[in-house]
Amino acid sequence: MLRHIPIFQKLSSREILEVEELLHERAYEKDEVVFEEGDLGNGIYIVVSGKVRADSSRELLKALMMEFGPGDLVGELSLFDAAPRAATVVAVERTVTMALFQAEFSALLLKNKHIGLKVLVEITRTLSHRTRQLLLQEKHRPSL
Amino acid sequence: MRAFPQPGAITLLAVVLTTCLLLFLFQKIIWLVVPALLSLMLYYCLRPAVQALVLGGLRHGMAVKSIWLLLQVLAAAMVLAGVVVLLARAGSWQNRLVHYLAGGQNLLSQTAGSLERAFPVFQRMHVGTLVDQRVRQFTGRFAEDQLLPLALLLLKWLPSVLLVPFITYYMLNDAARLKKYLIKSVPNAYFEKSLLLFARLDTSLQNYFQGLLLLTLLDTACLAAGLGLLGIAHAAWLAIAAAVLAWIPYLGSVAGCVMVVLATVTDSPDKGWLAYASLVLFIAVRLLDDFVFLPLTIGRKLHIHPVLSVVMLFLGGTVAGATGLVLALPLFGVVAVIGQAVAEVISDHKLRARFREGRRLAALSAKREAMKSA
Repeated sequence: MLRHIPIFQKLSSREILEVEELLHERAYEKDEVVFEEGDLGNGIYIVVSGKVRADSSRELLKALMMEFGPGDLVGELSLFDAAPRAATVVAVERTVTMALFQAEFSALLLKNKHIGLKVLVEITRTLSHRTRQLLLQEKHRPSL
Repeated sequence: MRAFPQPGAITLLAVVLTTCLLLFLFQKIIWLVVPALLSLMLYYCLRPAVQALVLGGLRHGMAVKSIWLLLQVLAAAMVLAGVVVLLARAGSWQNRLVHYLAGGQNLLSQTAGSLERAFPVFQRMHVGTLVDQRVRQFTGRFAEDQLLPLALLLLKWLPSVLLVPFITYYMLNDAARLKKYLIKSVPNAYFEKSLLLFARLDTSLQNYFQGLLLLTLLDTACLAAGLGLLGIAHAAWLAIAAAVLAWIPYLGSVAGCVMVVLATVTDSPDKGWLAYASLVLFIAVRLLDDFVFLPLTIGRKLHIHPVLSVVMLFLGGTVAGATGLVLALPLFGVVAVIGQAVAEVISDHKLRARFREGRRLAALSAKREAMKSA
C-alpha cells in the first residue's frame, strides 16, 4: 500500500517495511474530524483512500479549495515545529489515513538516515510546491 | 519533543494517591514486578546498542538477536567464571569471612568496653557481656541461621530472575509493534494524545534509568574518594559494591556500611578510629545521596520537585516498605505522566465532544452498512 504513496515511492522494499512499523493506520467516517484548527500538531497524515476537506478561519486559506485525496499529505507543518494546526480537517467520505508521529519521525531520521533523507526530501518537495502555489495565490492545496 | 506539562494540585494529589495504591498492590505481586523492572532496566540499557547496530546497517530483528545473544554469552561466561572461582577459592573465602566476622566481633567488644568505661551505668547493665553473647550466637551458627535462609531465598527468586532475559528480548524486539497494537484500540479523537503519552512515558522511564546510573556513579565517586583519603585498602572496589548495594534501599545501605566497616576494622586492627571514620563517611554519603543527589538526579530527570521526591520516598517506604522505596520514584514519574494526560483529556471538552461525535458517526455508518446488506 505504501508503494503508491508519493513520499514513499523512492524507498526500497526493505525500507518500506521499516517505515511501515512507524505508521499508524486510522479510519475516519464521513464528517469525522481528523484534527482541529488550533490543536497542537503532533504529526502528519497521509491520505490512503477517501477524501478529506480542510477549513480554516484564516483569510488567506479561506479562499482556497482545500480537498486532499489519496497520496496527499495533511498537517505536514507540525512535523517541523510545535505550532497549532492552521486548519480543521474533516473526512468528506469514509477515509483511511496513515499517521506519522513527530517523535517517531525524528527517531527514524536518527536511526536510518537513508530512509529519513528520502522521506524528508519528498515532504520538503510537497511543502515548497505548496508554498509557491500559496505565494502566487493559485488555487491549490496549501500547507497545514 | 516539548517539555512535560506540570500537573495541577488536584491532579498531583490524585497521582500521589494512585502511586501509593499501586505500590501497595505491587508489594503483593513482587515476584512479577522485580523481573519486569529488571527487564525494563536492561531494555533501556541495551536499546542504544540495538539502535547503533541498526544505524550501522543491520535489520532491527537481527540487531536485537545479536545484542541478546551477546548478553547471553556474557551472562553465561560470568556465571561459569563465578562457579570456577567459587570452587577454587571457596575455602579461602570462608576463612576470610570468618576473619572479617572476628574483626567485627572485636570492634563491637571494644566499643562495648569503651562505653562501659565511660558510662558506669552500662557496666552495671552488663552491656559488654550481653553484646558478646549476642555476637557469639550470631557468628556461632552463622552458616545455619544466615547463609542457609539466604541461599533458599535466592533459590525462590530464581524462576523470576530467569524470566528477565526473555522479557527483555521481547521488549527489544516488539516494543514498537506492541505500541502500535495498543494505539490501534484508541479512538480517533484521542489518537494524538495517546501517541504523546507513549512518547512522554518512554522519555520518563529512560530518564529514570539514566538518573539511577548517574546516582550510582556519584555514590561510587564520593565513597571511593572518602575511603581513599582515609587510606583504606581496595577503596574503589568497596565503593562500587556499596553503591550498587544501595539500589536496595535501607537493607542495601546497611549491608554496604557493614561491609565497609568490617573490611576496615579487620584490615587495620591497630587503627580503631578508622572504623568510626568510615562509618561517619558512609552515613554522610547516604544523607548526601538521599537529600541531595537523589532529588537532583532521578528527581530532576523525572521532572519531580526535590521536596516531592523526598516525600514520595517516605510515603513509598510507609506504604510498601523496601519495595515502596525502590519503586516510589519511577512509579510516581509514570503515574504523573498518565495522570497529566488523563487530566488534559477530562478538561478538554472539545476533545470529548469529538469522541462522542466520532462514536455517533461510526454507529451511523454501521447502520447504513447493515441496511445496505439487508
